[in-house]
Amino acid sequence: MDYEPISVALKFGFLAVLYLFLLWIAASARKDLKRNRGGDFDSDATIGAVPAGSYDAWLVVVRGGGLEAGTRFDVFGGVTLGRSADADVSFTDRYASGLHARLYPRGDRYFLEDMNSTNGTLLDGGAVTSEAEVRDGSMIEIGDTAFRFELDRQ
Amino acid sequence: MSASRNRELLALVPVALLLTIGFAAVFAQNDNQLTNLSLSYGLYFLAICLATHIYIRIRLPNADPYLFPLMALLTAVGLVMLYRLDSELGNELARDQANWFVLGLILFAVVVHFFKDYSVLERYRYTIALISLALLLAPRLPLIGSQVNGAYLGISIGPISFQPAELAKIGIVIFLASYLREHRELLVVGARRILGITFPPLKHLGPLLVVWGAAMFMLIFIRDLGSSLMFFAAFLALIYVATGRLSFVVIGMAMFLAGAWVIYNTVPHVTDRVDIWLDPYQDPSAAGYQILQSMFAMADGGLFGEGFAQAMVVIPGTDAPLLPAAQTDLIYTLITSELGLFGACAVIAIYLLIAARGFKVALMANDGFSKLLATGLTTVFAFQAFVIIGGVTRVIPLTGVTLPLVSYGGSSILANFILLALLLLISDRARREAREGI
Repeated sequence: MDYEPISVALKFGFLAVLYLFLLWIAASARKDLKRNRGGDFDSDATIGAVPAGSYDAWLVVVRGGGLEAGTRFDVFGGVTLGRSADADVSFTDRYASGLHARLYPRGDRYFLEDMNSTNGTLLDGGAVTSEAEVRDGSMIEIGDTAFRFELDRQ
Repeated sequence: MSASRNRELLALVPVALLLTIGFAAVFAQNDNQLTNLSLSYGLYFLAICLATHIYIRIRLPNADPYLFPLMALLTAVGLVMLYRLDSELGNELARDQANWFVLGLILFAVVVHFFKDYSVLERYRYTIALISLALLLAPRLPLIGSQVNGAYLGISIGPISFQPAELAKIGIVIFLASYLREHRELLVVGARRILGITFPPLKHLGPLLVVWGAAMFMLIFIRDLGSSLMFFAAFLALIYVATGRLSFVVIGMAMFLAGAWVIYNTVPHVTDRVDIWLDPYQDPSAAGYQILQSMFAMADGGLFGEGFAQAMVVIPGTDAPLLPAAQTDLIYTLITSELGLFGACAVIAIYLLIAARGFKVALMANDGFSKLLATGLTTVFAFQAFVIIGGVTRVIPLTGVTLPLVSYGGSSILANFILLALLLLISDRARREAREGI
């Protein structure tokens, strides 16, 4: 077999350029995937195209907290919940901490975070450790107070 | 989004560079010299790609930036391999293929021009389906039909011959996408669970049975396991995307396997093909020759291959082929033999990246038809690559479909550039709407 150095060099050159090219495309494709996550069949919103918190979302009081059941709080851009007067959603509950939890949008979804409260936060009956995604109809319970989360996706 | 167009432009440069290196290597091997002819071939190729790029920049400014360079790369690999075969066999396949490439890009431009609003395709879905079926059956017609190795895949009218299945695959995907977009709710709503498996309602099982029947029919009449597998896989992918029910896919695969088993036992040609696949040594000098030589040639390649133009294609001192149909069926074998495991993996990686980009287009699309169409086109393209690569590596029985854009063949090139045009149209619309925040 004839091993011309030049054709061996060209072969390896070909493979090297080919792999570098493919790696470059794969890297860009991965960046794309990170940017856009999720999406289901008929999602009328394009994945990744929706500005943060552009959906209307509300917290509706179900019981307790010294609030009237059915009271609606707009969650536009995120809110804090707690006993303190500084909290966006302020309520009276002996088990609630001053700034107990917060609710905020990321992409087109909303998340609940417990802010190191003394007695913890329940989301749909389960304790929230760091953060958890809230969905339309989710129940958020702090002490004796309960809120229902409503998400309006037109 | 001119940023994505600039990335497309940037990506075309290495593609042209690869073509140049490939040609240079073939020249160096054959004539022991480096001529600047390879450079001018590379520049020609770059010029053609640039013209297409400018057209895309004007007409589809938001389209996916990588699909076109990746497909051009496949064509470039194919051209190098065909040129390498020409120098040994004395054909002019590479020149023909280059002409088909230019024609394919012209057809691409025509499709982009006339189907900017591709939803019109939905309106003509039954016409498209009928034409596609007619195309599929045409090879069985007397006079124009032609049989190759027992499978009816090509038709020839005078000097022109082409493989109608290549075009039919696009038509059938358009039909299925449009049909499932309209009927997907029906398939899901009435579904019942029996023994933990979700069955679609019986009266809506009709389409599933019809497509299954069509695939079986193709297997009997066209006698090509590969293309019937390809169509059925695209259909199952579409039904999965449309309904989100894995059970439909499982039921469909079970039906296909059962049907294929029956046909294996009844249609002699299919029996032969499967038997040769299971045991090529039963007839090593005739029926098993192609697949056995394919395996040996790939083994010869090793990790990095023997180098361009160094694989043995004809038996030395004779004209008898050592790799039968190296320009079509066995082109993947040739690549493996000359560029080794690394080269072969790179080729598979190109198909994977195209599939990833295609599904990305489907994810980004906003309406059901676009999503299904992009999914179907991507699946059929990727599955075609699987069917032929699986065939030459003896994963599945070897069949006569082409390795998309790499194998020699005008109809394959034309059909795949129509497919590219549709994918880019969907992508352009989806990304434009995403940018405008609809």
